[in-house]
This record gives sequence, structure tokens and C-alpha cells, in this order.
Amino acid sequence: MFILSFFRVIKFSLQDMFRNIWLTVVTITILVLALFSVNMLLTLNIITRTAINSIKDKIDINLYLKPTASEDKILSLKAEISGYSQVKKIDYISKAEALESFKSKHQNDPEVLEALRQLGENPLTPTLVIKANNLEQYNELAAKLNKIKSDIIESRNFDNHKLIISKIENISRKINEVGIFVSLVFIAVSILVVYNAIKVAIYTHRREIGIMKLVGASNWFVKSPFLISGIIYALIGVVLIVVIFYAFLMLLQPYLEVFFSGYSIDIVLYFSKNFIYIFGIEFIVAAIINILASFTALGRYSKV
Amino acid sequence: MIKFHNVSKIYRPDVKALNQVNLHIKPGEFVSVVGQSGTGKTTMIKTLIGEERADQGKIIVGGWDITNIKQPEIPFLRRQIGVIFQDFKLLNQKTLFENVSFALQVCGHTPKKIRNIVPQVLKIVGLEDKIHRYPKEVSGGEQQRAAIARALVHRPKILLADEPTGNLDSINAQEIIDLLLKINKFGTTIVLVTHNREIVNKLKRRVITIENGIIAKDQEGGKYVL
Repeated sequence: MFILSFFRVIKFSLQDMFRNIWLTVVTITILVLALFSVNMLLTLNIITRTAINSIKDKIDINLYLKPTASEDKILSLKAEISGYSQVKKIDYISKAEALESFKSKHQNDPEVLEALRQLGENPLTPTLVIKANNLEQYNELAAKLNKIKSDIIESRNFDNHKLIISKIENISRKINEVGIFVSLVFIAVSILVVYNAIKVAIYTHRREIGIMKLVGASNWFVKSPFLISGIIYALIGVVLIVVIFYAFLMLLQPYLEVFFSGYSIDIVLYFSKNFIYIFGIEFIVAAIINILASFTALGRYSKV
Repeated sequence: MIKFHNVSKIYRPDVKALNQVNLHIKPGEFVSVVGQSGTGKTTMIKTLIGEERADQGKIIVGGWDITNIKQPEIPFLRRQIGVIFQDFKLLNQKTLFENVSFALQVCGHTPKKIRNIVPQVLKIVGLEDKIHRYPKEVSGGEQQRAAIARALVHRPKILLADEPTGNLDSINAQEIIDLLLKINKFGTTIVLVTHNREIVNKLKRRVITIENGIIAKDQEGGKYVL
């Protein structure tokens, strides 16, 4: 009997949706817009995170050593620095490696290469390239490196990249704040629209509801079609947003690849990997919002 | 079958729709309730189907004290009491068969049972040839018959008829009353709320007259006197 009633409730619910097709279309459209803004916010988040990571990746501290420094001394200095808790990675670039790297960087610049040849000897110095565990530790690490008293250190390049990072993080935070605000507006609008859609549905079905109650339909049976409609709205909304948003991501991906050349960013892959997580949660949240809106409208506009 | 013990219903601020009403309707009776508009007749019907609550007193239907009936119990009460109204309350987009089926569908009956019962009930009310017609395609009398069929489909022990002939001409009205008498013969208790003097006088059954929320007269074989 329960299964039979359940199928009848779904049937009544679908009938309601088709009889008020324009109301259904408007409700689903608003839901899709709300979901689009939420997914857009997520995409922006991923892009800014990639941008920040790519810049973070470029930040390091260079310790330039004297050309005459012996290999033993350099390696013992390297071992000392790598023992610092702030150090994530330390690379030793020898004079020869530095020269090779320089040549390959300027292989299309004959004047530079000619100048280098005329010098006759390798003018570059060996270097220790140090990366900290995180951005906050660079100041601490720089202070520590400044204290090292070693006669093989020629110069210390401690550029302050922290300012750039904090600027980028600031911008991304603002983008997120605007995104959250836009999403909240759309969610609020969709709650109101769903609420009104169900209110109108109850109004147009008041005679049917009255008759259902008169002939002994349970409250559950009267209310359920409207609740089911709320879930169906959410389902259709999420299916549409999957189609629309994937198309949007496919168009966006080539531009991102050009913009972040050299860094791996695959927004489509990110959404595909987290498909169930992203769209599952969106469906559940949309369905809960719709059900709550239905309950409120039913409680207020239908004495059942 | 129906008992009212000192039942009062007050609509705010101070309209006493029912005032200390005492009443006992026995199983199988055919009772007419008469009175001017706004005297409390419809309120009495509403309290019997749980649409309104009495402010004082006790209401018992078929041994069930429904005075303080809980919301989830109301559907079960309504499956035991059939109700028909002046405006028929049929769904125009459904056929007569579907209108009657609807009452069984919403209560979870199987399609097989619905296919068996509905034609039988429509036959009892004389609509076996018009089961696939829509309400707009049949006369007012036939629409009221369909409403009676829908009320009977749960096999209720009580049938409440609130002005069932109000929208009908005298011939159709008499046909509906004849149908109610026929249903009463099967043992169903009938409570007929009406303004139709001719019908009440012709019935020669028990007549309860309500005036300003109180029972002014209660006579066996009574007449319509206001």
C-alpha cells in the first residue's frame, strides 16, 4: 500500500508540474542561475589557488657563494642550512651548472653569448637555492641566513616576495567575497521563487486539496506531491547545470592553459574528479532548500 | 451513532454558532436539520468531520469521542463519514469514474479494488451509463449523484448532506432525496441539512430545528416550521 501511494504521489506531483509548466520552467531557471553562480565561485577559487601556487613556486632565496669556494665547504654549508626547520628544499648549483643554465637561457641572444666568450672564463658564482616550507617562514629564514658567518658567502639575495603574495591573496579573497555575496543573493532569490511557485501551486490546487482532505487523504498524501516537486526541481536543476557548466568549462580550459602556461591546470578534470562531491552536495542542498520552502508554503497556505 | 453533549462553538469575538447543544442520533436514522442561514447547521456538520473543534462539550461519532481529535486521526474519521455539499465538489478535469476513484486512490486502495468497487457504486446512484463523462457533460442532479457515489465509496455508516438540493430543480432534488432514502434503507444514518420546506414536509422523518445555535425543536415525523 505504501509503494502504491508513493507512486501515486509521484504521479500527482508530475501532473502538477506539467499543468503549471511555466511556473516549473521559471523555478528551474532560477535554480540553475543560483547553481551556476555557486560553481562559478568554485572555478574562480581553483583559478586563484593555481595562480597563487604558481607564484609561490617561484619564490626562493639565493645564497651566492664565492667562485673560489671549495666543494667541501659548500656542501658543509648546504648541510648546515638544510638542518633548519624552515627549509623545505635546498639545491646546490655549481659554477658549471650555472653557466650551462645561463647559456641555455640566452641561446637566442648571440650578443650575450659573445660577451661571455670574450670573457674567457666562467664569471658566474656557485649558488645555494633555498625554499621555505611556507610563505610565512621566509622572513624567519632570511634572518637566520643573515646570521651565518661564513667566508664563502659572497652575497645574499633576499627579495621580499611576501608583498606580492599578500596582494594576490587579497585580490582572491575579495573575488571570493563578491562570489559568495552573488551566490547568496541567487540562493535567496531561488528560495523565494520556489516558495512562491509552491504557494501558487497550492492556490491553484486548493479545490483538489480540499476534496482530498474531505475524502480522507492523509496529511502525508496531500503534502507529499509538493515536496516531491521540490526534489524534482532540484534534480532537473542539477542535471541542467552539469550540462551547461561542463560546456562552459570546455570553452574556458584552452584560455586557462594559455594563461597558466607551464603550470598544470585542468579545470574539467578537477570537476570530473570531484563530480559526485560537487554536484551531489549541490543537489542535496538545493533539495533541502526546496523542501523547506515547500513546508513553509504548505504550513502557511494550506491548512492540511 | 452521533451524540452532542452540551456542545458550544464560538466564533470570535462573540458569535455562538452552537450553544449548549444536546443531541442524539441513533444508527439508521434519517434526520433533517433545518433553520435559517447562519444558525449553526453547517457548523454542526463541520464539527462532525473534524473541520471545526467544539469549544465546550463532547462529540461522539460511532462510539469515538472526536471532541479533541488529533490532526493525524482526522483522515480516518472522514473515511467513516460520507459528506455531500450543495456545490458537489467534483473535479472538473476528471471523469465521474475518476472522481469516485480519486477517493479510493488517496487512501491507498489497489487499482483492482478500485476497478471493482467504483462501477458498483456508480450503478447504485444510477450513473452506470455515464461513468466516462466529465462533470460539465452531465446535469446538476447527476453531478450530485456522482458526489453521493464518491461519499459512499468508503461504505460510511453516516452520510452528511449539507444542502444537497440547493442547486437543483425540484425534480432533480426529489431524485436526490429518493436516493438518500434508498441509502438509508441499507442502514446508513443520514443527516440532511436543508432549507427545502417541501422536501422536509414530504419526508415525515425526524426534524431538528436550530435557531441561534440552540435546538429549538426536535420532532419525530416533524415539519419544517421556522
